[in-house]
Amino acid sequence: MAQKNRYGFVIDVARCIDCRACLVACRVENEVSLPHTRIWVKDQGLRGTFPDLAREFVPYNCMHCEHPPCIEVCTSGATFKDPDNGLVLVDQEACIGCGLCVEACPYDARYLDPTRGVVDKCTGCVHRVERGEEPACVATCLGGARMFGDFNDPTSEVSQALARATQVRQLVTDEVDPDPNIYYLNGDVMQTGLLPRPPRYTTAETLWRGVAIPAVIAGITLSFLGQAVAFTKQLIEGEQEFEE
Amino acid sequence: MTRIGPHVSRRDFLKLGGASVGALAAGAILAPPAAAAARKAGFIDVAGDGTIPTMCEMCVWRCGVLARVRDGRVVKLDGNPAHPHSRGMLCARGQAGLMSTYDPDRVLHPLIRVGPRGGGQFRQATWEEALDLTAQKMAEIRDNYGPEAMIFSSTHNLSQVQFENLLSAYGSPNYGTQRSLCFNAMVTAFLLTYGVEEPARNYDRVKFVLLTGRNLLEAISTSETAELMEAVARGAKLVVLDPRFTKTASKATEWIPIRPGTDAAFLLSMIHVIVTEGLADCEFVKKYVTGCEDIPAAMAEYTPEWGEAKTGVPAATIDRLAREYAAAGKDAMAHPGWRTSNFINSFQAERAIATLNALSGNVLTPGGCLVAESPEAAGIPLGKPPQPAYPRVTSMRLDGVPWKYPLVPLKLGIFQNIREAILSGQPYQAHGWFVSRQNPVLSIPDRARTVEAMGKLDFIAVVDVILNDTAWYADVVLPEASYLERYDPLNIVDHKLFLRQPVIEAQGEARSALWIYKQLGERLGLGEFFQYEDEEDYLRQQLAPLGAELQDVKYKGYLEVPVEEGDGEIVFGTPSGKIEVYSETLAGAGFSPWPTWEEPPAPAPDEFYLLTGKVGQHTQTATQNNAFLHQVEDEPKLWIHPAAASARGIEDGASVRVTSPIGSVVVTSLVTEGIRQDCLFLAPGYGHASKGLRVAYGVGVSDSDLHVTYTDPISGGQALSQTFVTVERA
Repeated sequence: MAQKNRYGFVIDVARCIDCRACLVACRVENEVSLPHTRIWVKDQGLRGTFPDLAREFVPYNCMHCEHPPCIEVCTSGATFKDPDNGLVLVDQEACIGCGLCVEACPYDARYLDPTRGVVDKCTGCVHRVERGEEPACVATCLGGARMFGDFNDPTSEVSQALARATQVRQLVTDEVDPDPNIYYLNGDVMQTGLLPRPPRYTTAETLWRGVAIPAVIAGITLSFLGQAVAFTKQLIEGEQEFEE
Repeated sequence: MTRIGPHVSRRDFLKLGGASVGALAAGAILAPPAAAAARKAGFIDVAGDGTIPTMCEMCVWRCGVLARVRDGRVVKLDGNPAHPHSRGMLCARGQAGLMSTYDPDRVLHPLIRVGPRGGGQFRQATWEEALDLTAQKMAEIRDNYGPEAMIFSSTHNLSQVQFENLLSAYGSPNYGTQRSLCFNAMVTAFLLTYGVEEPARNYDRVKFVLLTGRNLLEAISTSETAELMEAVARGAKLVVLDPRFTKTASKATEWIPIRPGTDAAFLLSMIHVIVTEGLADCEFVKKYVTGCEDIPAAMAEYTPEWGEAKTGVPAATIDRLAREYAAAGKDAMAHPGWRTSNFINSFQAERAIATLNALSGNVLTPGGCLVAESPEAAGIPLGKPPQPAYPRVTSMRLDGVPWKYPLVPLKLGIFQNIREAILSGQPYQAHGWFVSRQNPVLSIPDRARTVEAMGKLDFIAVVDVILNDTAWYADVVLPEASYLERYDPLNIVDHKLFLRQPVIEAQGEARSALWIYKQLGERLGLGEFFQYEDEEDYLRQQLAPLGAELQDVKYKGYLEVPVEEGDGEIVFGTPSGKIEVYSETLAGAGFSPWPTWEEPPAPAPDEFYLLTGKVGQHTQTATQNNAFLHQVEDEPKLWIHPAAASARGIEDGASVRVTSPIGSVVVTSLVTEGIRQDCLFLAPGYGHASKGLRVAYGVGVSDSDLHVTYTDPISGGQALSQTFVTVERA
């Protein structure tokens, strides 16, 4: 494992009551301006016919993936995986607001804040976690659906919950599997319409990946070759000079 | 001995009375409660940053709050882990509380109406002018028509004790609470049966929970909602009776979409099975229940087959659930419910619930699921300012209690009857209305009649934090400080005294209710009933007998009070000292002494029951203008079953007209399998008419435009689900 800790969420879908306290807690804690949000509760809607009905609610936010597609596409280096805790974070000072990561996120868990010109997303309330508190959404979860902690620590609540669970799911498909760090218990989450989509690459980004990156590599290669040639030439010439 | 009720409960049914003499100079304007105090107490540093413990007021559960303050502004509210109602959590409303304080539509200065009443034209006034005018009008009404011509109404706030003080000192018997629109059936039934207003629920060991219309996962009481989810996760059986597939129903082991108005029949049939099969806790019943030998005979006719005919629930299901309930013994709970203003017979359903609990022996016994609400707490000797005796009130109450409704507790009253009395002028004409933190225009059924009644009054004054629909019709609006800006009297929860204290400076000129009532009292010549210098002085006088310093309570947010343990012997606060399943009191008033079946009216074939309820993001009609809550709410729509919808050509999202005997509204439809074919559901609390609420104005419709006024003769409860409506494409 690259980083020391691996923080993430476990969500017990059977215990989410869709009260939306987490949505408001996140907004206030992180000063997320209306109408944006960093977290969601997906209402699956009613299944079945009266009176044999079921309804589940699936909370989600940035999944703090082990292999985050958002980092791959970040042109400015603003998006990074914290080496200490594994949380996927955005350095908003460095973010240039290009929005490529918003398109790349298979879970649509990022948004571009047009007023600030930066990308914003769940931070796992890293500022709270650093002072020993739970993320705001977890601390206020009435149903006890949300848990947060270090998967590398076998004594953590999340590790214990996974160890006890009879059914654990990540929202992944055969095609798209960034190894997300939200694990779902007890819910039929694969039916939610929340499955990851393939990362979308915009024209600019496709250009960047398809043309610019090879061009730069080629450029660097050429430049290196050029220098190597020059160096060799100089070396030979030098030798020649020396010989003179 | 543990004496069970009547006692001071969480809901502030604080007793009126008390008498001693003193005096305080009238007229002085007090300094506002200041965040300077917080600085002095060491909560916040020089920069104005810190954390201050206080209490939520986004509903009446009153969770403990830790308010984070930065630069003199509150930036985050967290649940206080030390408070039993929050345990570190707050619901969506609690989390959004600071937006109610910073609502751009707050009323921050006294207002005096300038245009026609209800026209929404006000001018800003000084406190002196607004208070002088209010007191002058109230004095005129008292002098010209007697104090009974002034109606006072307020709902469930911690300063209510001083509101009641003003009412009693002024000498009016006319006190309007919203209780008859909410829980009169439950409280009256439990007072008559147990001598307890509302037993507390204990989920520690519960194995079987029966919720009769109690939508606990959407009508949220933070700690109780969390406890229910814990119990369900532990494997407790949850049975939900509700015509609608609520979020609570979605977590139930069994959802019983019972025919509306027949809860009592279902419960009586359960009782029938339990007593005829000998499944009750005989030892407990013999010791504590009146008429125990006669219960089987009294319940003889309520067979499960009879129950099926009434409720539409198969007899086998009723029989099975009765046996499962009984098998859980003391670990079974039939939840008392809360808003039980559904049908005229809701009182009987509550009596049946009280009986079911008695039969399982779970009441007030160790580990039992129903417990008195910390009866020991009633013994905490809180102080109060000295004051003279209240004037004797001899006039009849406008709501008919008790002269027409002998069993309705005085402190509950019948709010909707006050409105009717204003209109009829009987038994005498009311002339003024002083409303504090309440919204009768939207809450009482038949809004048009309520507005008409207001038109008959000479003077209306409203205390509130926003320009709600009632304030919109006021002559004077007195701006109260929000719950994050003011002190309130202490609140007792589980042997702890909790404090609400200001975490920020009050904005504008908003002031606490304690201050406003005192100012009015002094101007009415009643200053000796308000012998406190300011809010902190009031609290110091409350704490004095406990020898506690306000500063210490401020710092922790609460004071732990040692109490003596009871000796385990139980005496119920009823005339017999027992659980009165058989009630002489009811018999004496001419009602059935046993829990009994009363057939409710039913809709015609082309009509629907109109159901109301709650959503988890709002409290009554008070929070719809909160932008944070508005953002996370569902669009308020009319629920209708697909079969009923297609028969009327109604598609999902269509505009539909709902018509009742008293009115008609146009609303968007939600076609859903989650409701019976004979029911419609309208999300509550919307349809605000006040243009002073820029977020809430124009959103949804109000069921108060449809509800017909029906009053239960026993409990005085309004029957909100007894209004039948038709629906068509608009």
